[in-house]
Amino acid sequence: MSMRFPLLLGIVILIAGLGLSMLLTDYHLRLLNLAVISAIAVIGLNFAFGYAGLISLGHAAFVGTGAYGVALLTTLLGWSPWLALPVAVAGTAIFAVLIGLPLLRLKGHYLALATLGLNVSFSMVAANWIELTGGTNGISRIPELQVAGHALADERSYLWFALAVLAVSAAVAGLIHASRHGRAMIAVRDDETAASMTGIDVTRVKIAAFVLSSIYAAVAGGLFACHMRFISPEDFSYAHSITYLAMLIVGGEGSIVGAILGALLLTFLPEWLRFLGSAYLAFFGVFVLAILVFLPSGLVGFRWPGSLRRDGRSKGPAMVAASKEVRP
Amino acid sequence: MTDFIQLFINGLAIGGVYALAAIGFVIVYSATGVVNFAAGQFVMFGTFAGVAMLLNAELPWPVGYGAALLAMALFGALFFAVLYLPLRKSPVVTIIIGTVAIGITMQNAALLAFGSWPFRLPSPVEGVNLTIAGATISAHAIAVVVVTAVMVALLWLLFFRTSLGIGMRAVAQDIQAARLMGLKVNRLLALSWVLAALLAGIAGLMLGPMWFADTSMGDPIALKAFAATIIGGFGSLPGAIVGGLFVGLSEVLGASYVSSAYKDLISFGIMIVFLLVRPQGVFGERVQDRG
Amino acid sequence: MSLLQATGIAKRYGGLTALSDVELSVGEDEFIAVIGPNGAGKSTLLNVLTGLVLPDKGRVLLEGRDMTRAAAHKRVRAGLGRTFQHGRPFARLSVLENVMAGAAIRSRRSEAELRKRAMTVLDQMGLAADAQAAIGSLSYGRRRMVEMCRALACEPRVLLLDEPAAGLNSAEVDQLADRLSDLRAKHRLAIVLIEHNMGMVMRLAQRIVVLNFGCKIAEGTPSEIQRDPAVLSAYLGEGHRHAGV
Ligand SMILES: Nc1ncnc2c1ncn2[C@@H]1O[C@H](COP(=O)(O)OP(=O)(O)OP(=O)(O)O)[C@@H](O)[C@H]1O
Ligand SMILES: [Mg+2]
Repeated sequence: MSMRFPLLLGIVILIAGLGLSMLLTDYHLRLLNLAVISAIAVIGLNFAFGYAGLISLGHAAFVGTGAYGVALLTTLLGWSPWLALPVAVAGTAIFAVLIGLPLLRLKGHYLALATLGLNVSFSMVAANWIELTGGTNGISRIPELQVAGHALADERSYLWFALAVLAVSAAVAGLIHASRHGRAMIAVRDDETAASMTGIDVTRVKIAAFVLSSIYAAVAGGLFACHMRFISPEDFSYAHSITYLAMLIVGGEGSIVGAILGALLLTFLPEWLRFLGSAYLAFFGVFVLAILVFLPSGLVGFRWPGSLRRDGRSKGPAMVAASKEVRP
Repeated sequence: MTDFIQLFINGLAIGGVYALAAIGFVIVYSATGVVNFAAGQFVMFGTFAGVAMLLNAELPWPVGYGAALLAMALFGALFFAVLYLPLRKSPVVTIIIGTVAIGITMQNAALLAFGSWPFRLPSPVEGVNLTIAGATISAHAIAVVVVTAVMVALLWLLFFRTSLGIGMRAVAQDIQAARLMGLKVNRLLALSWVLAALLAGIAGLMLGPMWFADTSMGDPIALKAFAATIIGGFGSLPGAIVGGLFVGLSEVLGASYVSSAYKDLISFGIMIVFLLVRPQGVFGERVQDRG
Repeated sequence: MSLLQATGIAKRYGGLTALSDVELSVGEDEFIAVIGPNGAGKSTLLNVLTGLVLPDKGRVLLEGRDMTRAAAHKRVRAGLGRTFQHGRPFARLSVLENVMAGAAIRSRRSEAELRKRAMTVLDQMGLAADAQAAIGSLSYGRRRMVEMCRALACEPRVLLLDEPAAGLNSAEVDQLADRLSDLRAKHRLAIVLIEHNMGMVMRLAQRIVVLNFGCKIAEGTPSEIQRDPAVLSAYLGEGHRHAGV
């Protein structure tokens, strides 16, 4: 693996996205914007879960922290979104450190339920601290982003901007994955004891993965706030955390490409199932279950039945080979 | 004081419902290792099984309740076959997402069948009130407390006095050993799902008259059941009971004495404190930290 | 002064005494073997030395510094390396990445330098051809060699090996013994070897420590140990027990 992969990934995202942005209708552009924003969040979650193995069901709370940060700084204090974004992201990172220090001592489903509790608490505070957050009415009139004097007011121009952020996010994630830090996270997930015997500070690596994931979440949240220009607690409920995790697993955990594919599929799948009428969400669940059963390593593990033989390089058992393939 | 008695009984009743949901959750977790995120939807199905039998089919209540519970038992077996069997070798998180996916399907199937308009599921003791120490208490709340206690007693008998229940406990403790002892492991695993669905069904039938029957009622119940299991101790049946009652009481008492907006924050706050200070809960086993 | 020193180590698991009042001192460049019947406490001793298990009593000193309660990764950074009895390489990293993870022990090394160091170690241990392989595609013996390479990449001053020869065939055992002698000569590395393979122990060890039921029952050169009656009866006693059951 080389440094070229992240660069290539960024370029592919840009080209594919630009192509799509020319073809799609406004409604689908809007969905694509949401998918791209989710993809950024899911790439973040991939650090925590896909690499470091931390089951987080509170990711939406960090997306929400970023979104509320931007919304409050711009509407209450009148800051420019460009200033509000980095400040909100930094604030979220600090929040993640404070949360992570106690919570990351937990493992497995204990951590899952603790982060779930965190997300539920976040929603409750956001819905009830009415003086600050506007409660369930949310915050509206978030200013639009301006690039070189141009407002990113329509779906297409916003998509271009979101794509650029996604491309950079994915490329940076690829670089981290290929670095000592990425290896340390994967080592911690594989075997904490062996990792500590390799000189890896397990606690620190976990916190770093958690904070990194929260930074991506906050970026996604900020983009979401500037895109919708209205946010409310519902946008960051724990159900969204579960959706992010489902996107990652359906796409292929441990893989940046998988994170993006999962975000795209689970955003568009309900649309594609609309022909089923009002039953579409019921089928959505069945569809996701089918992917979990038939593609255990996610979409990136998908192979055309005929192409199995060509994969002669991998000598190992199928699962190991698959998990190797999964990672970019 | 009369207020307090009324609130206390109502809290116990809600808590009993949570406790039954939590017990079902724990039974499945101990036996199969699955953290069932559809546990709340199970209870919702229980309520709507009641709606279907009592309101739609207009069966008399003993028959209707029986039919609803039979449907729930079948559903538990179906869940075992559709979710657990295909995913039993997958990582924990994949199974969690699988239960979430089925939960989405359950909720939307219910929405499709019953619409979004809430129902009012009647109680067999509809409209009957008792006066205890000056406090007016609905007979239904008392009935719920009694039924919960009876269910707990029956479960105890099942697990400690019947060979079936002892086999289930053996499977929960060590599946390989149970297999070597010649137990029909798959049948016992399926049975644990059926039992969980039945308990959720009873919880749902009891909850129906206390809340409005609404297809989106599942998620909040699941969250309460999670909080109950963590507080009581993950995997512990007495823990699920104590945790469920605690969550129910803190919700009802917290809403009137502290703040109705933040009533749920009490149980989740306590859940998080438990996770940090005593992750094994009140009754759970010690969590092993080092491998 | 000894490089690694453990004094008065005691560890109980419930009613079971895994270690009681065990002493171990490892000098620079020394090759020590720890032997003893199954369940004697050998692995537990390594766990105490490396910080995976905290002792109930006793102290662990590394180059004179008290490390009794130090975190495992800190001991590794201070010069301890270790392999596990059952082999624990990182399954989701390639062979090269496993060893690079070890080489990253010193910060401020560039990726290229990590790669170069890892390749050097792999080369030394005869694994260079497998550098890009997935762990799952390797034989059990090779997997355990990857783990040893990873430990070596941490540039330890004392290398603690828990039954490295288990599961290897006799040709592989000989090769391993040669490599360990080489390593010690080249890097002035002290080695603590836990091993049931007596041929290997007798060939390599300068000093042997014998544990039985958590107690140190003998210590000395290979020839002294071979003649030690206490050792003999410990092993024979075990034999009797097995025969008697
Ligand atoms: N975590 C633990 N909990 C309880 N008992 C333990 C634990 N670890 C080790 N023991 C017990 O301590 C004793 C010493 O175990 P240890 O693994 O150190 O033996 P050993 O000498 O390495 O044996 P072997 O040659 O079989 O590897 C054994 O009786 C073992 O069962
Ligand atoms: Mg051992």
